[in-house]
Amino acid sequence: MIYLDSAATTFQKPPAVAAAMQRALMTMSSPGRGGHPAAIRAAETAFACRSELAELFSISNPEQVVFTMNATHGLNIAIKSLVPPGGKAVVSGYEHNAVTRPLLALGARVSVASGPLFAPEEILAAFDRMVTPDTDAVICNHISNVFGFILPVEDIAAICRKRKVPLIVDASQSAGILPLDMTAMGAAFIAMPGHKGLYGPQGTGVLLCGEGISPHTLLEGGTGSLSIHQEMPDFLPDRLEAGTHNMPGIAGLLEGVRYVKQRGMDTICLRERQLTLLLAEGLRTIPGLRVYALPGLRQQAGVLSVVSETKDVEILGEELAERGIAVRAGIHCAPFAHRTAGTLETGTVRLSVSDFNTPAEIYQTLDVFHAILR
Amino acid sequence: MEHYLILARSVTYAQRMQRALEKAGIRCQIFRAPRDLTDLGCAYVLRLAVADLPQALITIHRAALDPVQIFLYQKGTYREVAP
Repeated sequence: MIYLDSAATTFQKPPAVAAAMQRALMTMSSPGRGGHPAAIRAAETAFACRSELAELFSISNPEQVVFTMNATHGLNIAIKSLVPPGGKAVVSGYEHNAVTRPLLALGARVSVASGPLFAPEEILAAFDRMVTPDTDAVICNHISNVFGFILPVEDIAAICRKRKVPLIVDASQSAGILPLDMTAMGAAFIAMPGHKGLYGPQGTGVLLCGEGISPHTLLEGGTGSLSIHQEMPDFLPDRLEAGTHNMPGIAGLLEGVRYVKQRGMDTICLRERQLTLLLAEGLRTIPGLRVYALPGLRQQAGVLSVVSETKDVEILGEELAERGIAVRAGIHCAPFAHRTAGTLETGTVRLSVSDFNTPAEIYQTLDVFHAILR
Repeated sequence: MEHYLILARSVTYAQRMQRALEKAGIRCQIFRAPRDLTDLGCAYVLRLAVADLPQALITIHRAALDPVQIFLYQKGTYREVAP
């Protein structure tokens, strides 16, 4: 199989990830739940993972690194901490349902700072118009999960800082690929999955919490601290980590993060962009196939969408799967992004690479596309 | 043997203190807090040698890591001491 669905989950992981998970299963219990060696080993692993992540995202205090089940979990905590029922939120036109569904559930008044694909200036101008001091939160993804469009989050953060509006960044597609400096940005929250660009296992996620933020709890329960009291602790990470931790997941995530740091995000990003450029240029030569990319892959990361004029996206996705190419077809849980880009009616076939893909796989994929669409 | 226990609000906080102390060359170990030392319920402590306490307090204060309580173990009992 040639796996080109890394925007959903990276399938190939560094070998150390599975080894660490197996080791955790055999040697670790739960952090903060005992003084015996199995609990201490778990606590050391969890702390090491928090520390590596804090360093990667320029946070001085590892307590601000909270483990979640996935990015959606983190986004729910962040949004529900900042946006009251009926509150006001400004989002980009490229958001995932992980952002828009919680906002709908809150009955929030949502303004969409929209703009065409790969045009960061227009998006920025829209945020500049819409973000006002009475905005409860701005929520923006760093990279569109459908089109790979890199949004100008640093500039959006500057607008938020100027107007004193809290910012939530959805780093689902960018964590481990593009740098994010939490402290410099002054973001209230950054949510991310552990199982995409950080190469951890499924079921892991991370929520970075800004200094001085007091988040609302989604879950209440045991934390291994202040256990006499019935209220949840008011300090992180305990406040947001009720219940037993996913230690095999955290141990695997630690190795994934170490891989990213060892390889370097610049190296990973460059490789993914080179592979995606190769893919985009090759697919452009197929008549009747619309390829959503600018020449040179300007303002785009390792995610590419295409639409065939002759074949339904789901059928094309299925035919690719039959020939050993794993892609994602449809709406990708992001109707906002499709509405903005004008692909809501058709959906798209999305191809997304990781650091483990090779040029040979891209050439083989292009051959299969040519064979199917000739 | 005489030693000090520095009570932390959580295991992660205790680990941050331990990291700061180790960077300053002060050895310490993390343990569960004896139940009768705290009314917080579950908690963790750092155990360190008596001679290391003055430098340890300076180090954790500089790192903005204030302990919940500090206890001295002497003659088989713990006694709270002012930080």
